[in-house]
Amino acid sequence: MQPNKLLKPGLYSATSGDQKGATARLKGGRCRCGYVFFPMQTYGCERCGSHGDALTPCELSAKGTLLAEATVHLHADKNRPAPFTIVKVALDDGPVIRTVLAEDSAPVAPGQRVTGRLAAIGQSDRGETVLDLRFSIAS
Amino acid sequence: MTRSLNELRPVYVVGIGWHRYQNPSETPYVELGLTAIRAALADARIEWPAVESTYVATALLGMASGRPILRHLGATGAPLMHVENASASGSTAFRHACIEVASGISDIALAVGVDKRNPVRRPDTGIGNLAEDAIVPFTHFALLTNEYAVRHNGSTEDIALVAVKNHRNGAKNPNAQRQQERTLDEVLGGKRVSGSLTALQCTPIGEGAAAVIVASEDGIRRLGIDAGRAIRTTASVGRSERVYPPGAGFDAALTKETADLALAQAKLTPKDLDIIELHDAFTVEELHYIESIGLCPEGHGVRMLKDGALDIGGQCAINPSGGLIAMGHPIGPTGIGQIGEIVMQLRGEAGPRQHGGARIGLAHMVGVGAVCYVHILQR
Ligand SMILES: [Zn+2]
Repeated sequence: MQPNKLLKPGLYSATSGDQKGATARLKGGRCRCGYVFFPMQTYGCERCGSHGDALTPCELSAKGTLLAEATVHLHADKNRPAPFTIVKVALDDGPVIRTVLAEDSAPVAPGQRVTGRLAAIGQSDRGETVLDLRFSIAS
Repeated sequence: MTRSLNELRPVYVVGIGWHRYQNPSETPYVELGLTAIRAALADARIEWPAVESTYVATALLGMASGRPILRHLGATGAPLMHVENASASGSTAFRHACIEVASGISDIALAVGVDKRNPVRRPDTGIGNLAEDAIVPFTHFALLTNEYAVRHNGSTEDIALVAVKNHRNGAKNPNAQRQQERTLDEVLGGKRVSGSLTALQCTPIGEGAAAVIVASEDGIRRLGIDAGRAIRTTASVGRSERVYPPGAGFDAALTKETADLALAQAKLTPKDLDIIELHDAFTVEELHYIESIGLCPEGHGVRMLKDGALDIGGQCAINPSGGLIAMGHPIGPTGIGQIGEIVMQLRGEAGPRQHGGARIGLAHMVGVGAVCYVHILQR
C-alpha cells in the first residue's frame, strides 16, 4: 500500500492512521479562561490575552453543524480550480471553521450534520498520496 | 478624562472633490489624486497653501505614495501622513483629519484617498489555516448570503434587489464607475461568481480618487469660506473586531456596536437618519448593516427595500451615490467619497439624485482585519 502524507499536519490528524476516508481530529487549543480556538497557537488568547502556559493544545472533534455553503464559480488562483464548494461549520467543540466540501459529497444545506474526513487530493513528488481535510454529510 | 469628537471644537466639511471611479486604466495615480484635490479646493474656494495638514488614504499603491501627488500643488512643507486601513482607509483618514482640526492643532486639513488596482498582499502571521486561499471576499459574503436567506426565509432574488436600487442611483452619479440602470433579470442573469452572488451584485474592480477638506470655525472665518455650505461632523467612531459568540457575523456585530456609539455621540436615533452611505461591496451587506444600524429589526431589511423605504425620496436613502456596487470601491478613496456624497446631499446640491430635505447623514465602512468606522454629518 502507498504511504500517505497529510497536506497540513499542523492542523489535523486522523483518528486511526492517516488513511483516506478516516475521520479527522482538529488541532485546536484551549485557554485557561475557557476559550477554545482553532488552530492551536501560542501567541496569546484572543479573548483574554493570556499566553505561554495558559494556552494548551486541545484536540477537537471534526463533527459539527453546517452554517452556510457557497459554490465558488470564479476563482483567480489556479491552485484552486473552480467550481468547488466552501462550507462554514460550527464544530461541536465550539469554534466555527471554513473549508472545502468533499468533491464526492452530496449537496449540503445549513442545519445538516457534517464530518471532516481525510480526502486524497493528489500525489507528492515521492509518489505518496496527499491527504487534506474535506467535509461531507455525516454518516 | 477623554472626549469624543463633538465635545472638541466644531469641525466642518467645506470642500469635496473626486476623480471619477473607473475601470483600471493607464491614468497615473498622481493625476487621479490631483484631480480630486483640485476639485475639493475649488469647491471650498481656497488655495492649496491654506491646507495645514494632509492625510493620504491608500491601500494598494505602495510606500509613501502621497508626496509625488502633493508636490505638484506647490510644496508648502505642511505635514503629510499615509493611512492604510483596508477598505476603511479613507474613513480612517477622514476621522484623523477631523480630530486634528477639532483638537485645535490645525484649522484646515485635507483627507484624500487614491488607489489603483494592484494585487492585494496579506501578511503571513505564521498561523496556519485550512483553506483561506480559497475564500476570497466574495465567497465570504456568499456564505453570509446563504445564511441570511436561510435564517430569514428570504429568497436570494430579494437580496439581489439591493443591486437594482444601487445601480439605479449610480446611473445618476457622474463620478460612479457603473452608470447604468439594471433590471432584476439583468442582475440575476449575469456571470455567477460565488454562491448566489452574480457579478452585478459585487463591487467592481476599479480606480479613482476622492478628497474632502475639513475646517474649524476660525478657519472658515479667516479664509472667508461660505459657512452656508459647510456641513458639520457631529460624530466619529472607530472600532475593531472583538470575540463574538461562535457563528455570529462579525461584520454585522462590529457595525452594530460602532453605529450605536456614533448615534449616542450625536444624540440621535436611527429614525433621525435621512441618508446612509454604507459598505455594500456585496448585496447582502446592505441588509445586514441597515439592520445593525437599527433602521429595522433583523430580517426586515428586504421588506423596507421592497416598500421603497430605502430609495432616494424614501424614509432613509441608502447609498444614494450608488454605493460600492455601482459607484465603485477603489479602496483608499471609498470612505472619503461617501463623506463627499453626504455633504452634497445635505447641501441640497445632489441634482437628479437629491434626497429631498436631507439634514442628517451617516457614513459607514468596514475593512477586513476587521475594523469599522462610522461618521455622522449634519446640516
Ligand atoms: Zn483566554
